[in-house]
Amino acid sequence: MNGLGFLLSIVSSLLFPGIIAVTKAKMSGRKGPGIFQSLFDVARLFRKGSIYSATTSIIFQIAPVIYFASIVVALLFMPFGQYKGLLSFEADFVFFAYLLAVGKFMMIVGAMDTGSGFEGMGANREALYSLLVEPAFFILMGSLVLLTSHTSFYNLFVHIHFDSFFSYLIALLGIYLFIQIAMVENSRMPIDDPKTHLELTMIHEVMVLDNSGFDMCLIHLTTGLKFALYGGLIANFIFPETWTLYAKIVVFFTVNLLFAIVVGFLESCRARNKLAKNPKWILALSSISMVVFLSVLAITHKLFLE
Amino acid sequence: MYLIVFQFLFVLTFGMFILSKKHMSYFGLLIQLGLAGITGYWSVDVLIHGTIFERELLINFWGSPLEIKVDSLSAFFILVLNFTLLTGTMYSTGYLKPYINEKNHVEFGLHYFSLVWLHISMLLVCMLRDGLAFLVAWEVMSVFTFLLMIFESEKGETIRAGINFLLQMHVGLVLIMAGFIYAFVHTGAVFSFDGLTVYFARFHPFPLFLLFFAGFGIKAGFIPLHTWLPHAHPAAPSHISGVMSGVIIKMGIYGILRILTYIHTDLLAIGIFILVVSAISGLLGVMYAIVQHDLKKLLAYHSIENIGIIGIGIGIGLIGTAKGIPVLAALGFTGGILHILNHSLFKSLLFYSAGSVYMKTHTKNIEHLGGLIKRMPVTALLFLLGALAICGLPPFNGFISEFLIYFGLFKGLLTADFQTDITIMGTVICLTLIGGLTIFCFTKVFSIVFLGTARSRLSENVKEVSVGMIFPEILAGIVIVAIGIFPIFFVKAAGRVAGLYVEDIPWIIQNTPSLSGVSRASLVFMLLTALLWFLRRTQQKRVQIEHEPTWGCGYSGADPAVHQYTATSFADNYRELAPPLMKVDKHFESLKEEDIFPRPRSFKTETSDRLEKNLVEKPVRKVIYWMERVAIFQTGNLQHYIMYAFLFMGLIFLLTIFKLI
Amino acid sequence: MVFSLILLFELTLIYLAFTERVKRFLTILMIQGLLLFGIAYLQLKHINILYLAFILSETIIVKGLLVPLFLNQMRKRNNLDRLAHSKVSTFVTVMAISAAIVFGFLLSSNIHDDHLQTKFLAASIAAIITGIYFVMIHRNIFTHLVGYLITENGVFLFSLAVGSEMPMLVNAAILLDIFVGVLVLGIFANRVGDRFKKMHVDDLAQLKD
Repeated sequence: MNGLGFLLSIVSSLLFPGIIAVTKAKMSGRKGPGIFQSLFDVARLFRKGSIYSATTSIIFQIAPVIYFASIVVALLFMPFGQYKGLLSFEADFVFFAYLLAVGKFMMIVGAMDTGSGFEGMGANREALYSLLVEPAFFILMGSLVLLTSHTSFYNLFVHIHFDSFFSYLIALLGIYLFIQIAMVENSRMPIDDPKTHLELTMIHEVMVLDNSGFDMCLIHLTTGLKFALYGGLIANFIFPETWTLYAKIVVFFTVNLLFAIVVGFLESCRARNKLAKNPKWILALSSISMVVFLSVLAITHKLFLE
Repeated sequence: MYLIVFQFLFVLTFGMFILSKKHMSYFGLLIQLGLAGITGYWSVDVLIHGTIFERELLINFWGSPLEIKVDSLSAFFILVLNFTLLTGTMYSTGYLKPYINEKNHVEFGLHYFSLVWLHISMLLVCMLRDGLAFLVAWEVMSVFTFLLMIFESEKGETIRAGINFLLQMHVGLVLIMAGFIYAFVHTGAVFSFDGLTVYFARFHPFPLFLLFFAGFGIKAGFIPLHTWLPHAHPAAPSHISGVMSGVIIKMGIYGILRILTYIHTDLLAIGIFILVVSAISGLLGVMYAIVQHDLKKLLAYHSIENIGIIGIGIGIGLIGTAKGIPVLAALGFTGGILHILNHSLFKSLLFYSAGSVYMKTHTKNIEHLGGLIKRMPVTALLFLLGALAICGLPPFNGFISEFLIYFGLFKGLLTADFQTDITIMGTVICLTLIGGLTIFCFTKVFSIVFLGTARSRLSENVKEVSVGMIFPEILAGIVIVAIGIFPIFFVKAAGRVAGLYVEDIPWIIQNTPSLSGVSRASLVFMLLTALLWFLRRTQQKRVQIEHEPTWGCGYSGADPAVHQYTATSFADNYRELAPPLMKVDKHFESLKEEDIFPRPRSFKTETSDRLEKNLVEKPVRKVIYWMERVAIFQTGNLQHYIMYAFLFMGLIFLLTIFKLI
Repeated sequence: MVFSLILLFELTLIYLAFTERVKRFLTILMIQGLLLFGIAYLQLKHINILYLAFILSETIIVKGLLVPLFLNQMRKRNNLDRLAHSKVSTFVTVMAISAAIVFGFLLSSNIHDDHLQTKFLAASIAAIITGIYFVMIHRNIFTHLVGYLITENGVFLFSLAVGSEMPMLVNAAILLDIFVGVLVLGIFANRVGDRFKKMHVDDLAQLKD
């Protein structure tokens, strides 16, 4: 049963891109593709041949593989209510964060391998933004560690309690931060608009311009997995422990569904940040998580204020 | 028996000069193997049993026999330096081959002689406890490093960097000596490390520690004592850079750690001091590294960064000890000490592979390189391995030490008080930023040097280096992966050393199932990658594979050789965020309205280290300015000099009369 | 509950740090006015009803509505730029203000006094520093006013920290000062706006003699 979180996340990851696409279509009044269209795309890509740039080397070919593997292994840490993740140890979130960084490192060098100036731009933005968002994640996890006195994903989420008005505020801020961190990590709105048609201002989509066939299939799958990763974390964050398993499964999918709809909604209604604004915006996330941390200190009575 | 052989090897080194140039490296390697074998045997024994190894050398020093003493701290450093120096000598065999015809017999012999003696002096630094003998060994180490550094002495820059190094090392030596003398004068105990115990027990340790820290810190390269490092590394031959970054600067850390074993009070202040200095070194080191274009200079700045990480480990360890948070103390020290080993491994690997690139392309400027992975695949992959390790990414060794530090920090968070919690969180932020910036920097370096296409003729017709040069890199690579996947053994060794500072280390490490979790997760990750790669291979066999030019986004004239990203442009968006630290000079001529047919123009950017400018260059210029003012007394006229002497005597006379002296 | 409002107050400071739109500054002032209203109400429920009414009306009417609306009028009449240009990059500002917040908490956790309610002190220190910093980095008089008002909010919180009723009068006086200052400067700026295109303090330097 320990793999439950992993399995459910995989299932929801498959539907994630579809739900986002449907939401966006509905928001703009189009009929839009079916929910399963993205799955058909992936299946088709799997059967297709590949075109490689003559400039590229083995790095370009292995990058998507490592990227995909890093996210899948990260998903193995996903707990589900009272069930641990398949992998779980103390301070596993450090491993989790660094594992995501491995995938990112490889994608960046993979993009640089093509020798395209556009992909270089995307790669270097990705590198900068992911470095800026890292502190926000760590401070948030630090706050949770302090709040629950435990240091693994499983224990963090099992032992989290919200009882007072103040702690609900912190929970809200925590969810807000999780969503925004997910947006930065996935290069979605307001950091990056995946549907923009100008390569000069893209981030993630421009990095994969030269990938095709099997590699592209992996990258598409990974996009969904990454969303599911954060969706799963948010779901775990708000589970009340007393609920039954089935209720939790329902909540899990509802949260993921809501998350996907929120992403689609944001992408339909919101303008992308100016590129120059992104670093500040991401840094502000760290400041917010610092405030969360301070308030957790106050809750745990370490920060003694009258 | 071993002791006699050990000392006999000292004498044997003089045989270096009678050999032919080709055989010197092998002879050196042989002696070093002997040294490493004997000291390694002692050290492993010490680390396993936790005993202290004591012997008297046959040499008399200042009337008393010279005593060597290996405790777990010495043992750890001895093992680290043995490994790095051996790989360094192995690598040098291939690296110096092109110089065989250029350099004469004495120059070549001196180089290898110095290399072996560097090894000996470093072993002695780790083993000697007597103050004076230690200082002599320390000085010998600096001098031989200098001799090794200036191998390419025909270049003016090399000599300048060498002299700079030598001067700064002597400042360090004077500070350390002053520390010993101060303690000796105040206590009257023996002039040795053990004598410091008496001083630290009786007086406030912080001021004297500061003195020692400054002395050892110059060697270690803590900011702001780092200014020799970025010049010394590019000047030295690559195997020396690898050794220098891998172990020589660690001797500074050894000194600090050694002093810390004698201090039992004032730990909080010392811990915070070390933590702050290290955090600044770590952050600024990597921030300066990103804008460098000289490959070896860039790696040199990363040495500063990693010294910072080691210092962070030690600093939080001390804070943990002072505040009574054993888990923070234990994991901080263990992580910091393990990072010493880790850094020596991946940094020497990086320097060796950078050296291979330099050897084949004759340039260190990364803007002239590119696409080398197709011509030097093994070097490229080894560099990638080093890059992943230095970024602290799993499943490699850098991650393990950083993980231990993180783990200690998060665990410590639970039991610490408010101020400590804020400190811990600040440290976490620093570590994550350092990690992220390192990833930024190494994605840049790796992709600019090895990926894409060639940016100049220099990197066009290049071939892979010889097996002899790759072998030591592979050795380092194997240990890097081994630590990454099976960390327990190495963590236990580091824990033994940390046991000098914190008591219940073994208990804490035993109760840390995380490490086996990490290795399990790493293995799963590697297996999954291999599986996917296999799946990909089978899929690719079935479908059609084509090769085309890179997609130019609809622009048919796109050519990677012209349009690919450069190192400057990669670092540009980062550079915009850090103007207070980096001075960026842009040299260009702007286009005017009347330029209807513009001429060819150039654009050049330069970045300089503001700290170095303001802390070293400006004051030095001031001093020189005043020196020149004083120099008017130096007229060259004999009569004047006699007059000065006369005036001086008169002055003394007057002062005596008025009882001022 | 009070602490939650203080937390939200701190968040408005962070928002202030990274936003660049002049209009947003006014929104922040409004939100801060409302938050202060809430804080004051919860904190001072038990005091003399007259004082309470005065303070509450001060926070919600003056701070929350009057001043922001007045400033908005001024902004429109002078055709100010939509963006505020500061000398320091926003990136550094975000870091500075986060540091100010942490500093506020650190300082107030170290102060132990029976008459001092340190939770207000933490936020007030952060707000005062932010306000002054804000004035320092901007060149536009209009944004200077925003900075002064943030500082004033900090002083208001500080007076709550001291706790007794008397300092409310002090606060009232300060508020009056600021308010008059805003009015005078506003009128002044309206006139200056006719003369200069931008309301930069650099331009005012030309008015000396």
